[in-house]
Amino acid sequence: MMVSHSPVPQLLMLVFASVLLCACGLVTSTNRAVFVLFDASGTYAKSVPAAARSANLLVSRLQPGDWIGVGQISSCSFSEKEIILQQQLPETPTLANQTQRQVFDKLAAYAGQVKPTKFTDIHGALAQAAFELQQRPEPAHYIVIFSDMIEDLAPRCDTSAIELDLAGITVVASNVIKSDPADPGAYFAMLKDWERVVTEAGGQWRLTSSPDQLPAIVTAQ
Amino acid sequence: MWMARDPLRRVIRQTFFLTGLMFGRWGVWLTGHGRAARLSCSEKIASHRADELADRMIVLEDRIGKRADKLPAEVGTLASRISATTHALETSAAALSSINLNEAAERAVRSALPRVEEGRGVTKVNRAIGATRQAMADQIKLIRPELGVVATEAPRLRVTAEKLAGVEQRFTQGVDLVNRSFTAYEECLRSPDRIAVAGKHSIVIPWLIALLIMSIALSGVFLNFFLIERPMAEIVGESARIGGVGLPAFAAMIVIFLEFVAGVILMDAAGFTRLIPAFHAMSDAGRRVMFWVAFAFLAAFSFLEASLAIVREEIIESQQATEILAGSYFTAPAAAPEATSGAQADGEPVAPAEPIAPAARERASVFGLSLTTTAQIILAVLIPWMLATAALPLETIVRNSVFMLQIAGGFLLLAAGFVCKTIAAALRSVGYFALSVYDLIIFVPLFIEKRFFNGAREEDSGPFRKRKPSPPVAETGAGPELERKLQQAS
Repeated sequence: MMVSHSPVPQLLMLVFASVLLCACGLVTSTNRAVFVLFDASGTYAKSVPAAARSANLLVSRLQPGDWIGVGQISSCSFSEKEIILQQQLPETPTLANQTQRQVFDKLAAYAGQVKPTKFTDIHGALAQAAFELQQRPEPAHYIVIFSDMIEDLAPRCDTSAIELDLAGITVVASNVIKSDPADPGAYFAMLKDWERVVTEAGGQWRLTSSPDQLPAIVTAQ
Repeated sequence: MWMARDPLRRVIRQTFFLTGLMFGRWGVWLTGHGRAARLSCSEKIASHRADELADRMIVLEDRIGKRADKLPAEVGTLASRISATTHALETSAAALSSINLNEAAERAVRSALPRVEEGRGVTKVNRAIGATRQAMADQIKLIRPELGVVATEAPRLRVTAEKLAGVEQRFTQGVDLVNRSFTAYEECLRSPDRIAVAGKHSIVIPWLIALLIMSIALSGVFLNFFLIERPMAEIVGESARIGGVGLPAFAAMIVIFLEFVAGVILMDAAGFTRLIPAFHAMSDAGRRVMFWVAFAFLAAFSFLEASLAIVREEIIESQQATEILAGSYFTAPAAAPEATSGAQADGEPVAPAEPIAPAARERASVFGLSLTTTAQIILAVLIPWMLATAALPLETIVRNSVFMLQIAGGFLLLAAGFVCKTIAAALRSVGYFALSVYDLIIFVPLFIEKRFFNGAREEDSGPFRKRKPSPPVAETGAGPELERKLQQAS
């Protein structure tokens, strides 16, 4: 008696194995790690609540599984003491919502008790944020700076010469207030300078003035 | 040029004729396989048609059987009614036939005659007439009930007869249908012209109808996907992508596929489709088990989707509340603007306003759920079952697509065979044409040479006299073989 062997099961197994092999390489993460920096210098401390509101909007748009870190720009920012919170949102939407509300509370508490500092160490803060982000496994890294971007380094904490490594990091400057309305040129020149600093350090520079734009930039990918 | 003629012919033969031969053989091969493919496909269509007709005959037989079971009850009533009517008519006819009007009238007149004699003239006649009328009226009074019976029973008989005719007609129609199906079945089985048999069976129209139904079912799938994609994040998380597709979307697609598979198994186990060959070999008990397993799975999927509909609403409300809360921090509550305006001006943070109560709580509700959620739940419960019905057109789509592909493949082979044969014929023609042109070109110089230099050539040992003329094609070694092959190819 002749027994006919259909090639279909073998073909299906082959296709299934190929799909599995391909799928192993196709599984990627969509999460992002965001480090928010608040400028606590005397010229910006009053704007911190407004900045915290923008940060809230940003946090509310983060996806489950994203990571959020918050630090402040102080006189000497490259320090663990300047880190306000680090929080990973849970994987599921409901728990993530609960955690987001906890983050709102922490941001509100910080904005309520922020004390102005004498100096502004933006380089150190960037280095601190970059260092924290480089420890994170998320594929997309962002640093969001709420500052007037005017650096005023303390004599005993001169970080202007440190080598920043912002590779793979997008630096978003938000709510950059104009400290001298009489000199727009200086403002734009300062922004150009910071863009150069960031891009030379391997990062990407983005600027946004509207709070609505910030979540769109960070969650675009 | 004469010297070059023979090698040139060989070159032309090898270039054009051999290539033509190759194309010719390809053409023959392709045509043969195309015809075989068409025949094979027609055979499959005919056998499928035979299967369908066999199924149909079984259904019709079953229907006629049921009809036949009901027939005694239907016809029995009619028969007893006919019997009663006939009996009544018979009795009436007997009664009517027993009455002799002539005799009765005569008897009445005779009995009235003594009284008539007592009168005179016109009175006599009037009395006679009255007596006769009375006698006739008495007799007709006897007939009238029988006539009434006839008048009543005759229409009943007609109605009963019509009903019987209707029963017969329906029965005949059923039998005719079976006969027609059986004739078509016989034709499918025995007719030698398989292509003609297959041609009678439409493939495209059922395929198009099935495609339309499947498209509608797929739009339901699309809707279902958007309903369950978001809440699936609660089950599988939301942080990964597979091939560029988010994990919840991927999981939602898998759930839909599983629902579809459960639907296919349900329909196959119920005997509506024949997509899974294993079910044909399975016992009735096994199929029943598979049916209930698939039913249970679909019910579970319905429950899952209903739960996901509720979760979806909760997620949306929670996210909206979070976004509102995010904006409400550092913003003055509407109730006490003056109390917070100072704080705002100073840039101090303001306590967050209470998250706005979900609007759903204010909306109409069914069993404590908002109308939107209820609608989503109903949709979510129904869609898996609707998806199961998509298995019905799937069988037609799969089978008829295979048939259509086979038919198209057969025609493609035939078309390719035709093209190859045409190329072969063209190449042979070009070869003959090239030879003819060459002969035409060399004809004039050869003619001049033969005409004017013939004498000199005869004395010389030129190539035209000394050289053995090239043999005709038929005499060369390759000639007959080549000619035979060319004839075969053509």
